Amino acid sequence: MKKTIRVTINGRRYEEDVEPRMLLSHFLREQIGLTGTHVGCVVGECGACTILMDGKAVKSCLHLAVQADGRELTTIEGLARDGELAPIQEAFVRNYALQCGYCTPGMVLASHALLRNNPDPTEEEIRRGLAGNLCMCTGYVQIVEAVKDAARGLKNG
Amino acid sequence: MAKFVGTRARSKEGPRHVTGRGLYTDDFRLPGMLHATILRSPHAHARIVSVDAAAALAAPNVVAVVTPDDVRKDSNPFKPGRYAAGLKRPIPEYASAVDKVRYVGEPVAAVAARDRGTAEDALELIAVEYDPLRPVVDVREALKPSSAVLFDELGTNLAWHGSLQYGDIDEAFRSADRVVRETLKIHRYSSTPLEPFVVIASHDAATRRLTVWVTAQVPEVIYDGLREALGIQDVRVIIPDVGGGFGQKIHLIRKYVVLVSMLAIKTGRPVKWVEDRSEHMMAGGHACAQEFEVEAAVKNDGTVLGLRFKEYDDVGGSVGTLTIHFTNKLNNLSNTYRVRNIAMEGFSVVTNKCPVIPNRGIGKPGMCFIWERTMDRIARELGLSPIEVRRRNLIRPEEMPYATPSGNLYDSGDYPGLLDTLLQRLDYEKLREEQKRAREQGRLLGIGVVIGVEPGGRNAARDMAIFPEMKEGPGSGGINGATIRLEKNGTIALHLGSPNCGQAHETTTAQVAAEVLGTSPDCISTTIPFDSDLSPWGVAAANSGNNFHLYDIGAVHGAARRLREKILKLAAHVLAVDAAELTIEDGIVHAPGAPAKRITFAELGRIAYNNQHLIPEDMEPGLQATYYYAFEHAKPNLVPGADRRVRAQFTFSAGAHGAVVEVDKNTGKVEVLRYLIVGDNGTIINPDVVNGQIYGSAAHGIAVALGEGFLYSSDAQPLTVTYLDYGKCSTAETPRIEVVHRPSPSPFTPLGQKAAGEGAAIPSPAAIASAVEDALSPLGAEIHELPLTPEAVWRIANRRPESARRLY
Repeated sequence: MKKTIRVTINGRRYEEDVEPRMLLSHFLREQIGLTGTHVGCVVGECGACTILMDGKAVKSCLHLAVQADGRELTTIEGLARDGELAPIQEAFVRNYALQCGYCTPGMVLASHALLRNNPDPTEEEIRRGLAGNLCMCTGYVQIVEAVKDAARGLKNG
Repeated sequence: MAKFVGTRARSKEGPRHVTGRGLYTDDFRLPGMLHATILRSPHAHARIVSVDAAAALAAPNVVAVVTPDDVRKDSNPFKPGRYAAGLKRPIPEYASAVDKVRYVGEPVAAVAARDRGTAEDALELIAVEYDPLRPVVDVREALKPSSAVLFDELGTNLAWHGSLQYGDIDEAFRSADRVVRETLKIHRYSSTPLEPFVVIASHDAATRRLTVWVTAQVPEVIYDGLREALGIQDVRVIIPDVGGGFGQKIHLIRKYVVLVSMLAIKTGRPVKWVEDRSEHMMAGGHACAQEFEVEAAVKNDGTVLGLRFKEYDDVGGSVGTLTIHFTNKLNNLSNTYRVRNIAMEGFSVVTNKCPVIPNRGIGKPGMCFIWERTMDRIARELGLSPIEVRRRNLIRPEEMPYATPSGNLYDSGDYPGLLDTLLQRLDYEKLREEQKRAREQGRLLGIGVVIGVEPGGRNAARDMAIFPEMKEGPGSGGINGATIRLEKNGTIALHLGSPNCGQAHETTTAQVAAEVLGTSPDCISTTIPFDSDLSPWGVAAANSGNNFHLYDIGAVHGAARRLREKILKLAAHVLAVDAAELTIEDGIVHAPGAPAKRITFAELGRIAYNNQHLIPEDMEPGLQATYYYAFEHAKPNLVPGADRRVRAQFTFSAGAHGAVVEVDKNTGKVEVLRYLIVGDNGTIINPDVVNGQIYGSAAHGIAVALGEGFLYSSDAQPLTVTYLDYGKCSTAETPRIEVVHRPSPSPFTPLGQKAAGEGAAIPSPAAIASAVEDALSPLGAEIHELPLTPEAVWRIANRRPESARRLY
């Protein structure tokens, strides 16, 4: 039995019929076609599917699509505005904070949310703040640098 | 003067990845596509009595099921690979289990349905009758005559046994002052790429053409596997962005490509399969658990005369990659040491665990572990400094290029220099004083310093050294191609022979091509995905980080030089000047001293494809070049002779690693206070990219040493099927890694570049073990085994002496 949900994604409103068991991550990827949200574990451990729900970073595999009813979502496709990368995206590119790119969308959104809550984090706070997002490629060094870099930009800009 | 090579350059892949525009296999959707799921064995060891899929097939929206009978009827076993060459009897290996299951998670059947949920539900409707057999869990148990046997054809679980010897090992032991003995163990782990296995197969019955999209590292393993198993000659392999490889996506994935293709053939519709995390953890392939019995023939001053070891590999429930961890030790058999007499003996034992696969270094971390742990043991027994013992045995820079006893040729390197720089940067003497003070306060502070090589390049013929009886030689050396084209609009397009799994293919190749062609990296684009219809082949497309840095860069460099010649020839003709006088800058060809004599790449592009009368008579039209790169210096030991000497790999990066740790005696927790690497990766094309490869592989090696790994119950049930169980390190646990470069360019590669990829995963487990042992040394403790989980370290740190234990 499908349910109808109304949800805003990246500023655009959708009315969609979904199966109650459909995960939000799969809804975004398969029904809406936003494949930037990646799926690595489906049990909330890797963070690849992180999105923003009403401005807060959440793992979309830990939510059902029906739970997004009435919410406002931002996926990685919605972070850049008019072709301009958001400061955190730019910092990731500048610092080579990615390799295979699979964890990147989730890592970028988690970092974006982290800086929104704490614009001037210490390395310790960055490391604690991103501990829910795994990366198998980078050893996290350049990711932490990117977040620091973006924070410096916020402070000076 | 290099303009782009060796400099920072803006990442080309960065912008698409940070905006979610990377394109992975799971992102593709074909019209009418079905979704597959795989039924997996719940038993570690059982005979399959029957499989009844009737109820599943009758369920609404289920379109097809592949059972073991179908697999036997409609497919062939894979050709035994080179890592199974040591088997006394051939053992057919199909895409799924057909008679027995030999590990939990082994594929038994596959379903295709209109949606993933239905395909998952249908798995429960397949009735499999199993006749459970006694599981075989432990290597030593597996070798006992009373053990159950996995492969009836073999009659034993010792699937392979062999030995190799270089130099005069007996003489080394006869002339030694003493023999230092060590027993060592490394556990099962893997690098668990964040993107799981994904396959899409589509078959055109009219043309009998099979197209697969797959998240694989090595196109030819998929290409050959499909042709062998399904007898289809017209196969197209497309590999989009790969979400991490590390060796994981080479071998086992071919089984799934065959199973999904069988469903596509059966249904006449495209079929997609996406592995889930627990499937990957239990059945996606593990690095081998290895046990070593080591003996070193040593003089009292610490000189090592010879090294002899026995290796027992737990290869799990398949013979396909039986000797992979043993064979790969030929790559770094000497590590960084001038030891001429080395002997090894290998035992590959099958057990009811997940099969083994290559993983970040494949066997090489084990070889480095043997050497570096033994060096520490020698220092301890002789009362010498561990640094001094290493220094005494290191190959010296003036000996480069250095021929090792097994036939490797170390291209370049200053190993004592790497060690010296590391000690300086660590401020080693001061650190030792700090340690003394810490110990007085009861703190367990430890320092570990190790050194290792990262071999680069690929020579499958090294297996013939291990299996001289091999009838068909495997691919010798490594060859990889690149195609480069000046487009009509003056930009440059590149096609590579290897898929992209995070080594910055686009950025790095653009830097090299721009350098050679005199244009900007912004004007150069590299085609991702790999497409076997368009991309050049090459046996070296194995795409571990080191192969990309060597072969693809070598091929791109060669192709760009060819294209440059063509560009200059055409420009010279059009401008009516001598080609030798021309220079290229920012995509414009100039004749110096004649400002009017200039032509842009875009103008040349239009001429090359449109204006036959402007093309010189003796020139092939078009501005395209393909170049296949191979290592010239691979000869003469490209293929082993009777002496079994072979150039197992061709370039040798190196790294000295320093770890400073503190152990909490109450919890056993090891904190890495500092981790420093002084690396030699030859000429560095892009420092950010190379640093990233080093950070990532070091972080993995450290995590492996400190607890990441797979556990099994006593009946061979996997206990680590999620990232949390497995102990994957996050930003919170991973130490900050520091890298210092001290490069020695290779004399043998076009740019002096060497491997840069898996390297830091090779010495890092040894570095952590060394540091933890040093921390625990006031307690008299020794480290012989990984992982050093808090529990393991606590046990070692709190071990009561035998006499005290008896009182309780």
